[in-house]
Amino acid sequence: MENKLKKYEKIEFLGEGQFATVYKARDVDTDNIVAVKKIKLGSRQEAQDGINRTALREIKLLQELHHDNIIGLLDVFGHMSNVSLVFDFMDTDLEVIIKDNSIILTTANIKSYILQTLQGLEYLHLNWVLHRDLKPNNLLVNSNGVLKVGDFGLAKLYGSPNRVNTHQVVTRWYRAPELLYGAKQYSTCIDMWAVGCILAELLLRLPIFPGESDLDQLTKIFGVFGNPTEETWPGLKSLSDYIEFKPFTPIPLKNIFTAAGDDLLDLIEALLVMNPIKRKNCTACLQMPFFSNKPAPTVGDKLPLPHSLRTMRDLDKPSLKRKLLDTAEGGTLSKRLFF
Amino acid sequence: MEDFVCPRCRTSKFQNPSMKMMVNVCGHGLCESCVDLLFLKGSGSCPECRIPLRRNNFRVQLFEDAGVEKEVDIRKRVLRDFNKKEEDFTSLQDYNDYLEEVETIIYNLTNDIDVLNTNKRIDQYKRDNKEQILKSKGKLGREEYELEELLELEKQREEERKKVIKIEEVEIKKKKIREKEALIDELMFSNADAKNIVDTFAQQAQQAKEEESKKVPQKVSQFSTGIQFGRQNQSTFLPVPTDDGPLYKYIPPEFPTDGPRPPNEIDVIEKNFLNHVRSETEQERAGGFKSNIACLRALQDAMMGLFHSKKSVVL
Repeated sequence: MENKLKKYEKIEFLGEGQFATVYKARDVDTDNIVAVKKIKLGSRQEAQDGINRTALREIKLLQELHHDNIIGLLDVFGHMSNVSLVFDFMDTDLEVIIKDNSIILTTANIKSYILQTLQGLEYLHLNWVLHRDLKPNNLLVNSNGVLKVGDFGLAKLYGSPNRVNTHQVVTRWYRAPELLYGAKQYSTCIDMWAVGCILAELLLRLPIFPGESDLDQLTKIFGVFGNPTEETWPGLKSLSDYIEFKPFTPIPLKNIFTAAGDDLLDLIEALLVMNPIKRKNCTACLQMPFFSNKPAPTVGDKLPLPHSLRTMRDLDKPSLKRKLLDTAEGGTLSKRLFF
Repeated sequence: MEDFVCPRCRTSKFQNPSMKMMVNVCGHGLCESCVDLLFLKGSGSCPECRIPLRRNNFRVQLFEDAGVEKEVDIRKRVLRDFNKKEEDFTSLQDYNDYLEEVETIIYNLTNDIDVLNTNKRIDQYKRDNKEQILKSKGKLGREEYELEELLELEKQREEERKKVIKIEEVEIKKKKIREKEALIDELMFSNADAKNIVDTFAQQAQQAKEEESKKVPQKVSQFSTGIQFGRQNQSTFLPVPTDDGPLYKYIPPEFPTDGPRPPNEIDVIEKNFLNHVRSETEQERAGGFKSNIACLRALQDAMMGLFHSKKSVVL
């Protein structure tokens, strides 16, 4: 265990979430850049419960999942009662790319992102894993333009007829209508809805359904597609949280995505179907004409990068000033990381 | 054509995208609405050169340069009279001189050089060659004859091809009947097992079919006129700059299961696996859960790793 501690050299602090802090680090043996996610201990109560649940989920599932478009768990190590997970280092995520107004996303770019997402997700679903927290923020992109699905903190195996799942999953804006209506048994359809929302967001550069509460979320959805009925969605009224909404008139998708081609609209329509049974799965979506049609999906390194990264790439060779500072202090800036 | 302006009303293509420029024999353009307005009575004079014009002679301007339109008009008119063919001349020199003269006349008329004299020349020629003109009108030139010949040839070839195809078809039909008869004969007189005989015949038929399909029909590479298909002059185009990658093609992912192949989604329904699991409730279906999901997973779980042995473990 001791040698593992020294295996990673901290480079910089990347970010902090609810459960963990993430650092950029260098693998001393291989010189690879990795991301180290140090799980927080939390409160005394939580610490006594043992290892954090989300971390456990990530460790359990990611150890067995290996795909180009799934974040790779390279290593896990503990120190005292603390656990750290070592992941592939990813430069940015889709949220940053969507919000960066200096980036123009072409159809080919969007096709590449969604294609990679669906390929990763197809692999997950075929292996009976639901991600349950798909959002642009969790679709990580590196400077080679490879997109990897990350954050398996909510991921779970599916397909057991007796297990009851919670419907309080997925960030609200990307939550499928059946979850909002309180479905306890669901399947891959909930991830597909989220992909649909992400695709819409890539086109609009804004979240398509930015609900402020769970109820508001449903009104936002119905505002576009109209109210579901027992005909369009059989069994709807049997869902535990079902409530009647005031009637909405649907808006044609063509009016929302004015710049999208027909094949792209078909894909959006296939993903954003309110009745989960009618929603297409990954395999069916990947076979839709949108992906095989021209323009071909952009090849990895030609995908756009956010402004901050582009400049960083130029600055990769350390500037003179930095060099001088380094020599003055007599060492590198990076410090050893003790977890 | 985009920045064309009607000389009378100053309307441009930009202001009125549906504007149509018309042109008459004098070669001066007018837009459609001005023509309608000025030539309401069916005739009038050109607003630019004051030449009397008839309305029916207006037509849509095809070329940007109205002069071209004018020349086409004049050329048509002049060639109606000057219709001598190469055969009508004793030497090539004479023919060339004649062509030169025709061109001069057309050039003069188009550019308004010495119009009076030129018109006189035409009239003179008309009077001198009245009979010849009439005769030539009905006569086909050598070029037309050649074309005629080519068409005839083509027709012949077409008929020949049809005949060959017909013969082939009859042949195939006959062959089929013969094969059938052979099979019946064999079944009638042979002592071998009837099933074997049928099988061998079916096999032979299959083989014959395969051989047939191997004969790829020769690709037609030229039109009947002898012009090659395809874009031979492709090299004149610059390749469209494409920096995008290859088009995507779906390849279903495969997983090593280390066991027998588990039933797939279709099997689960068709082979009645679903009868042995609890069917989903209405509420579960509304949530997107179907019993075939559970059924599939259970079957996959059960079959996974059945071939696993200690030997295959690589440590």
